[in-house]
Amino acid sequence: MKIVVWVTTLLLALGATSAIALAQEPNEHAQVNAPRGPVHAEVAAVHPHGDIVEAHDPAMALLFWVFAAVTVGGALFVISRRNLIAAVMGMVGSFLGIAAVFMMLYANFLAVIQMLVYAGAIMVLFVFVIMILNRPEDEPVAPSGRIGLVVGGIAVLYLVSRLVLLLVHVHPPNPAVASAAPAQLVLPSLTGPAETVDWGSVKAVGSNLFDAGLFPFEAISILLLVAVVGAIAIARPLKDIDAEEGGS
Amino acid sequence: MNDLLFNIGYGHFLVLAAVLFLIGMAGVLIRRNALIILMSVELMLNAANMTLVTFARMWGGADAMNAHTFALIVIGVAAAEASVGLAILVAVFRGRRNVDVDRLTTLRH
Repeated sequence: MKIVVWVTTLLLALGATSAIALAQEPNEHAQVNAPRGPVHAEVAAVHPHGDIVEAHDPAMALLFWVFAAVTVGGALFVISRRNLIAAVMGMVGSFLGIAAVFMMLYANFLAVIQMLVYAGAIMVLFVFVIMILNRPEDEPVAPSGRIGLVVGGIAVLYLVSRLVLLLVHVHPPNPAVASAAPAQLVLPSLTGPAETVDWGSVKAVGSNLFDAGLFPFEAISILLLVAVVGAIAIARPLKDIDAEEGGS
Repeated sequence: MNDLLFNIGYGHFLVLAAVLFLIGMAGVLIRRNALIILMSVELMLNAANMTLVTFARMWGGADAMNAHTFALIVIGVAAAEASVGLAILVAVFRGRRNVDVDRLTTLRH
């Protein structure tokens, strides 16, 4: 019975990815063949793919691979360790790698926020809870049969390879902009002359946050307030349980 | 092959985000400890953020700052989700002495 379920799932997955691939292919050809103007031809002559983040710099490529390895290795550590503190440490490494990748993408402000909020605050919260719970270790993985592992592994490999093949061929909409360092932004000012700031800097993000993102900003403040009150209300020990356990 | 190794393009960042998302999804599916499941959800949120930031870099210009704002708000939502989720885990552990999701079956019937 189990194997029927697995084979059905596999067939459904194969059909779905084939449909996606078929829907994708004509689109991709249309994009590749479409004329992109003289600027693109120039860029394409310099960079064969036209989607180079840091043009032909082996040091930059090495840094990318190092940080990608740190990120993926930390993530694998999270889902494979039995010891929860080790999992949290892997998570911190993964978040630091993600922050470095954000920096490579010129998202300076987000990289700093990533380190402060994730590697700092959220991970400290996790460590506190693990120490409060004191013995929350378990079997590393749920039990599954050998057939399930084989079929699931093949399906996962197939899906991942299709996904990777699709994603590495992503082309930027305007390669001339995309292969150079991002241009500085000019922000209007109410009091003085217009200000020129770096792309992805605190001022650039903040200006957008208080302009286009004003409503989400206010909504997230209310959400955080509700979350703080809710977390305290849920985690507070009830009186009778407290008395029953001798105030533990 | 050489091109793939030394010419880091946007596809590399997108594939990295996809791999991160898949690892998080695998963690949610195979682990039974609710704490690890919460951490895997955080990994998936981070992968989505990385995709947003990559597309912002790809697009460029002032409009791309919208994506950075969106990523910032996703980080805020993730913080709220982690705090409430951990509070629920503490409450569950206080009553049942474990946080194994396969054994939390009281609501099944």
